[in-house]
Amino acid sequence: MGRVSGMSDLVITLYTIVVLSLVVNIGISLYGVFTRPSLVKKFICLTIFSDTLNSFAIAIGFRRVSDTYPSIAVLSSVPEELSELATFAETAVDPVPQALVLTAIVIGLAVYMFLVGLIVMYYRHYKTTHVRVVEGGSVG
Amino acid sequence: MEVVPISIAAIAALLSVVATYLAVRSRDMLAAVVFSAVQSTAYALIYYVLMAPDIVLVYIPVSVGILPAVAVLLIKKTERYES
Repeated sequence: MGRVSGMSDLVITLYTIVVLSLVVNIGISLYGVFTRPSLVKKFICLTIFSDTLNSFAIAIGFRRVSDTYPSIAVLSSVPEELSELATFAETAVDPVPQALVLTAIVIGLAVYMFLVGLIVMYYRHYKTTHVRVVEGGSVG
Repeated sequence: MEVVPISIAAIAALLSVVATYLAVRSRDMLAAVVFSAVQSTAYALIYYVLMAPDIVLVYIPVSVGILPAVAVLLIKKTERYES
């Protein structure tokens, strides 16, 4: 691996900032899931944790190509010859993690709806969303 | 040319860290839902820079639209402030 250009170090530093921020987000959201007593707050933190793991899956499939980077993928042209197709295959990102994340987002939405139903049933039974009511018999 | 989009991704990632911290620490559940939506918007920007525009097309209606709406309904059915 050689250096692509003079700006390569800055780009790598910025990309490292993105990945480290995702790691910090995992820590904060897991802290919220483990320590917050309210079930609704646990639900919100769980959605953040799930989104962060999906972001890691996308970051695995990402490949940085300096020449074609600023062209946005939605507006790119359709390849007409086989040589253009080979060039496209050399410069495209991996689509398999994106398909997996697309499926994970939709399945996660169904799981979240199930959790919302469970939290509503919990509130109707115990008149609170505080989890320590069930453990100790009183709030606190 | 290449530095601009990845700097947008880095700024969005730092914003998402701040939004996640505020969402965990706030006592008001509605404020936590709003901060969670801000975090989801920052993640959508990161996905767009990482060349996943199809994920953005699904992720914005799900995580900025449906999930905060359902969470607000859940807060209305249960309780707003964390004791």
